[in-house]
Amino acid sequence: MKTVATFTVNGLPHEIAVEPHQLLIEVLREHLGLTGTKHSCGVGNCGACTVLVDGTPELACLTLAMEVRDKSVLTIEGLAKEGLLHPLQQAFVDYGAIQCGYCTPGMILTGKALLDDNPDPTEHEVREALAGNICRCTGYVKIVEAVLAAAEVMRKGGN
Amino acid sequence: MFRLLRPFEYLEPSCVAEAVEMLVRYGEKARIFAGGTDLVISMKKRQIVPDYLIAIGHLSELDFIEAEPNGTLRLGPLATHARLAASPLVWQRFPMLATACNEVGTPQVRNMGTIGGNVCKAGPSQDTPPVLVSLEAKLHLVGPSGKRTVPMDQFCTGPFCTVLAQDELVVEIEIPPLPPRSAGCYKWITKITATDETLAGAGVVVVLKEDGSFEDVRIGLGSVAPMAIRARRAESLLRGTWPEAAQIAEAAQIASEEAEPRSRAAYRRRMVQVLVNEGVTEMQRQIAASMQEAGR
Ligand SMILES: Cc1cc2nc3c(=O)[nH]c(=O)nc-3n(C[C@H](O)[C@H](O)[C@H](O)COP(=O)(O)OP(=O)(O)OC[C@H]3O[C@@H](n4cnc5c(N)ncnc54)[C@H](O)[C@@H]3O)c2cc1C
Ligand code: FES
Ligand code: FES
Repeated sequence: MKTVATFTVNGLPHEIAVEPHQLLIEVLREHLGLTGTKHSCGVGNCGACTVLVDGTPELACLTLAMEVRDKSVLTIEGLAKEGLLHPLQQAFVDYGAIQCGYCTPGMILTGKALLDDNPDPTEHEVREALAGNICRCTGYVKIVEAVLAAAEVMRKGGN
Repeated sequence: MFRLLRPFEYLEPSCVAEAVEMLVRYGEKARIFAGGTDLVISMKKRQIVPDYLIAIGHLSELDFIEAEPNGTLRLGPLATHARLAASPLVWQRFPMLATACNEVGTPQVRNMGTIGGNVCKAGPSQDTPPVLVSLEAKLHLVGPSGKRTVPMDQFCTGPFCTVLAQDELVVEIEIPPLPPRSAGCYKWITKITATDETLAGAGVVVVLKEDGSFEDVRIGLGSVAPMAIRARRAESLLRGTWPEAAQIAEAAQIASEEAEPRSRAAYRRRMVQVLVNEGVTEMQRQIAASMQEAGR
């Protein structure tokens, strides 16, 4: 039975009729057209589908849409402000932390949750925080560098 | 693998009593849904195809981390691994539990997965059961005929099997306080995979007497038997003695014989020996050091 519910995605309320068995990733990609959230393993291993639920990294492939009613969901599309990239997005571009790009939305969102919580992380803390996001391309070094660089920009008040 | 779920009805009970009523009404067709990190995967793989999902995630009566003045820790089944790992109450009283929760899966899985789901899943390689077994935790269950309490080491009956009746819910995990002059740790080794599933884990609790002898020692083993088990023969070799390195090594050897690993058996056994030896030795030293500190 379809339920009409309000989902707050990237700050905007959306009223959508969802079936209880629909996953958050289906609703984001198919109903809202937010294809920035990637789907890969579907079983919680890779982190490509990571979104922030009330600021916390969670896996959209293992979340029922019903679970996030009344919560605030942030996807990669919600990061840039008025055409200006978020410091993390800019740093990923600047540091070559993107190759195929499939892991990037999840990496950046996980990185954002880390920096919101801990503005001045050590390299080790960055690696620990990103341990649930797998990258097949970059070898991680540039990703870690990008997160550390973005942290510095954000500490100086950038965006 | 973009797998969709089969349709089901999503039920949101307003309290535990109503959740139990739903379990009674829908029987085998219903499943409790907590963090979903396990259940959604089983449903995608069609290993479990429920007609009714009873969501409990919103029930605040199941979501708590509380310490009593006597040191007892009470955990709601909905406490997530991330919150337990970060909780000062847990860190101060039972750092070994925080360690084990921090070892579960990935940060995202720890943000979503609950300790209730972890014990109810009862997989042999689950990380919290060996710790809860060595801490002599008790599970509080509620069903149609009321409450009952089951010691953690009697909860699991085999791989993915527990004494939980189909119409029962875990409503609390109670961890009794440790006596003075005690310490515990969780030691583990993982497979090298995306999520580093545990290959062998040992929860070790040591309690010393004032004279430095072992008043008590409890060893919980995970991932090396159909369920988390106590290495009771190893424990009894140490209890009441002043063990030196050779005797601890012998107990660790016995613990490895008590393990019943199915795959990679020789390696897992060897690792049990290493983990138990390290755990007991380190805890003995740690308590002795803090006794010395206190005596000064
Ligand atoms: C990528 C990945 C890595 C993982 N790594 C680890 C790991 O390293 N170590 C580890 O231990 N686990 C691991 N897990 C397994 C899982 O995340 C944990 O077991 C988690 O704690 C399950 O909790 P949940 O709330 O998500 O459970 P759910 O999926 O909601 O439920 C699991 C089972 O428990 C039942 N249940 C849940 N709560 C209750 C309750 N209160 N009363 C009665 N029944 C209940 C459900 O009906 C279901 O059968 C991993 C999972 C994933 C996806
Ligand atoms: S697609 Fe969700 S974790 Fe891989
Ligand atoms: S850039 Fe290709 S997976 Fe990370």
